[in-house]
Formats: sequence, C-alpha cells, structure tokens
Amino acid sequence: MRFLHRLNDQPQGNGSGDGDASADERLQQARAHGDQLLAAGDEAIQRALAGSNSEAFLRAGRQQGGQ
Amino acid sequence: MTMGRHSSPSLKGRALPKLCGADIELGNFIAGMDQHGGTGYEASRALLAEIQGLPVRQNFHGDNWYSTASTTPRASTGSLSGICANPSDWAWNPQDVNRRFLASNGGSAYIDLNHAELCIPEVMSAFDHVAAWHGMLRIVRGALDRANEGRSADRRIQVLVNNSDGQGNSYGSHLSFLIGRCTFDNIFRRKAHYQQFLASFQISSILLTGQGKVGSENGRPYTPYQISQRADFFETLQGIQTTCNRPIVNARDETLCGRSRANDPTAAARLHVIFFDSALAHGSCLFRVGPMQLILTLLELGLVNPRLILDDPLAALEHLSHDATLKARAELITGQRMTALELQCACLDEVKRHAARGVFQEVVPRADEIIALWEDTLNKFIAGDLMALAPRLDWVMKLMAIERAMEQRPELDWDSPEIKVIDHLYSSLDDDGLYRAYETCGFTEQLVSQETIDRFETHPPADTRAWTRAMLLRRAASDCVEVESVDWDRMTFKIRGRFAWPSYRSVNLADPLGFTEEQAQPIFDSCADFGDLLDGLESLSANEAIPSDAITVN
Repeated sequence: MRFLHRLNDQPQGNGSGDGDASADERLQQARAHGDQLLAAGDEAIQRALAGSNSEAFLRAGRQQGGQ
Repeated sequence: MTMGRHSSPSLKGRALPKLCGADIELGNFIAGMDQHGGTGYEASRALLAEIQGLPVRQNFHGDNWYSTASTTPRASTGSLSGICANPSDWAWNPQDVNRRFLASNGGSAYIDLNHAELCIPEVMSAFDHVAAWHGMLRIVRGALDRANEGRSADRRIQVLVNNSDGQGNSYGSHLSFLIGRCTFDNIFRRKAHYQQFLASFQISSILLTGQGKVGSENGRPYTPYQISQRADFFETLQGIQTTCNRPIVNARDETLCGRSRANDPTAAARLHVIFFDSALAHGSCLFRVGPMQLILTLLELGLVNPRLILDDPLAALEHLSHDATLKARAELITGQRMTALELQCACLDEVKRHAARGVFQEVVPRADEIIALWEDTLNKFIAGDLMALAPRLDWVMKLMAIERAMEQRPELDWDSPEIKVIDHLYSSLDDDGLYRAYETCGFTEQLVSQETIDRFETHPPADTRAWTRAMLLRRAASDCVEVESVDWDRMTFKIRGRFAWPSYRSVNLADPLGFTEEQAQPIFDSCADFGDLLDGLESLSANEAIPSDAITVN
C-alpha cells in the first residue's frame, strides 16, 4: 500500500481535478525536485535499515508511560 | 430570565494575549539494553546530568515542597471543585524530579516518570515557539553527545522526540496557553459547547500536527499507518488526569501566574493542552500553537460556532487518525459528515471571518501569517500536493521516508520491525535521526531561520517574564548568590546578611506578560547590589499583573 501515491493522485476537493496541464506539470516538477532532495536523505534510511537487530532495538525502546 | 454576572454585557472586554509555554517529554533509553521496565531511569538521568541549570540540587528529591513546578494538586483540588493552588493543596510530586531552570534562555529541564522533559520559556508568538523548541532541542543534542562520550555503540543513549514506544506506553507533549478565568470556567464548568468546539478543532488539526505512527496501540483496531502518535491513548473527553484515561481536553487548573483566584472571573488562567503530538517539522510545530491561539481567542470572545462540533469526538479521533488517505468522515452534531480536511477548512473560514474584524490584533502575534500558512497548507491538501507538504508536516515526511524504504526493500511491509524502527528513528536526536538528515540536506521547510533558533538557544524571549528569570539566574551566578528555588512565577534566593547570617528573598513573577526586557533592563542596569535589584523588581510586581479590563467575561 502506498499512501502518498494514492493521495497525490486523488485530489481531495476543488483542486487540480480539472486536468489543467500546467498544474500537472508543476506537480511533476515539484515531485522531481522533492525526489532530488529525498535522495540525499536516503543514506539515513539505509543506515536505519542496515542497523543491528530491529527487534532488539524495539524491545530496548520500551518506555515508562508518561503524561 | 435573570442575567448572571458572567453573562452581563457590561463586563465584556478583550481577549488576553495568547502567551504560550510547552512541557515536552522525550523518549529515552539505552539502545542494546533490554531489561524489564526499560532503561528510562538510567537514560534520563544520564541525559539530565549534562544540562546545567539552577537551582543545584544535592539529591534528586530536593525540590521545593510548595513549588508548583514540581508538585501536583491533591485529589480534592482543581477546577472541578473550584478550589485551586493554596500551598497546602499541593503535594510533592515524586515523579517530577531535579528540575533546573536554564540561565541561557529561561526554560527548564527535569525528569518526569523517567522521561527527560523540556520546558521552553514562555513566548508570545507561534513562530517564537518553533524557534524556542528547536533551540531546546539543540541543548538536548549537546547533552546527548556529552552523555554518549565514551559509551560503546551498543550502549548509546537514544533520545526520541515522539509520544509512544509502540508497546502501549505514551508520553506527552504539552502546551500551555494564557486565557481568562472566565474562559476556563466556560470550557470546563459552564458551557459544554465551548469544550466540544475546542475538542472538535483539536481532533481535526491532527491533519497538520500529527507526527504519524506505524501501527496502532492501546487495544485499538489495526491500521498500518496513522496520522497521530497520541490518538490511540485518548479515552475520555475531559478530565484532570494525564497519565491514564487521557482526556482530549485537559482540565488541570494550575495557573502558574501566582495564587489562583478560582472565583474571580477577571483573573487569568492557564489552559493545559495534552492532546498534540511532539513535532519536529517547523510547520507541524507552528500549527500546534498558532491555530490554537486563534481558536482560543474566539472562545474568549464567545465566538463559538456550534455547527462545527463533532457528535462523538473520541470515535472521530480514532476514525480520522487511522485513515492516512484522508477519506474518513466523522459526523457532526448537525448530522453533516466531514473529513478532517473539510472540518479544518471550516474552522479556518471561521477564523478568517473574524480576523477581518480585527479580533486577533494585540492578542495573537503574526496572526495574518499564521492564517496564510494554514490556508496554503489546506489548499495543498485539497490539490493533492502531498510532496509539497512533506517538508512542512511530520506525518507526511515520515510517511514519505517509510515508503521510500519500502521501495528500496520490497520484502518489507508495514508489519516489519525494520519499518517500525524507521518510525522511531524519524525523531531521533542522534546522528541516525531521519528528520535531522532531511534538515541537514535542506529538504525541510524552515519557517524560522537558523539564526533565530541560535538566539533562542542562548537567549530568553525579550517579551515575557522568561527574560527576567534568565537574567536573575545569570546575575545570581555572577554575584555568587545562591538560588534557593525557582518556579515559573516565583524565585527565591539565599542572601548573606550583614553578619553572614543568611536570609531569604523572593521575587514574585506572577505576571507572565510582565518583566520583559523593556521593563526590567533599566532595573538590572541601575542596581549593582542584588538586594536592590530584587527591590526594583518588586516594584514591577506591585503593579496590577493583568488589567481586569483586558480580560473578557462573557
């Protein structure tokens, strides 16, 4: 399930649902720019995925309930 | 029909300036150590030991008995009984320990239920709140680096700016707003629709303020990803409790403005808000505060639209939070069904309608900018432009990060522990933090500059009593005066008398809007003697804290 792709393709109201070509182009440009910046953050994701035992990390993260 | 005094038009006034504070618990543990009950005790103390502040405690349990900063009301007190904040009504709170106030910026840090907790100094503007919060996070990052020096990789202290450990335990990210006593009583004692309106607004605002969470907790139905970290933990509409059976609208009545005058409709009060998620993205941070300042102003002025009230707030909260596609609808008392986006748009329309009449002037700083950003954000949701919102809102940014991870590792799904780890590491203050990585590479939207954040890390706000608090702490250090106790509205110093016999002097800082740099700087400049300085500041506190004609009674 890919939430963001579903949200991106399904305008919630009176937005760009009228098929305006320039709006679609701007959206694509924004996505491309975003992808470039996101790629710079992928290293952090890779480190997170390559880390030691995820289940152990989650167990160690148990907290006391707070306010 | 007899008009009670609280309804008399002759008592109507303006709303109080919407001063704001925050007290935020952090998730803290020692990575690699799996022990019964977790490692919060060890991690929180190791972290706090690296944050310098005053007063200096000989032990962890030496807080002032009467300090409302580290006490809790006895069961019989609080707004529900109309009795508030006499010293004898407060009991030492053993879960709130070793509070120290920071001479750098007037904020504070302490341990609460084995969570390191940060309090930002009081600020006036939502933008200052963003800067002050990120300034405090920098202080904690520095403390974390020092606490981790010499630790092996499998024993590093981990600090997460989130609200849930994913194992059924939640911790809070609280806000405080200055409101009139009459407004407080209207919300909790007199006008049910005020409370319902406030709750309904808060619930729909998770669209802007949620941090996002993988999965569900506290016995709620399964969902792969939801908008709010805290939503699963709210179990009642209103109450004074904060650690269980959590209420959407918190009735804690602790003014932090001197002695509470519960039966005086012209007095000040504090609204304690436990609803929102912790935030890192500047937009999410700002939306926790700015729109609340606007909505509370409407409440203070009696401008409540009963058509924007949810029929079942608790059910709506779960329903709306659990649907990250934003299609879920909740029923209002009118029978109309709205999505979170539609309800937020309706609330914004209310705010804009009244803004045109100038009701926010001198009450909510930069109201026009808050409204513009709010509108721009909602328009982007309407247009389906989620990628444009990712740099601004935490739950969208986190969702984006997780879906990128799934693209890179197709074998992972929403139930994979690796995905839950990414959920947690999004808010990590260590080098592995995802938000930190996005901020470093320039992906995140900056609503306040790095220079402003720098300033709030090392300086108090100039326009609230936090300024005098910080300056007094600095002056006490330079004059070798011992700080006996510090509370939000009172500071006590141990001053050596003529024959070295100590005496204690206190200064009353009850007015959160007073003791600003403009008011107090001349006194600091002109008084070389610490005792004379306190005398001078007492002359400020002798003035009426908050003019009674500034407080709305409606």
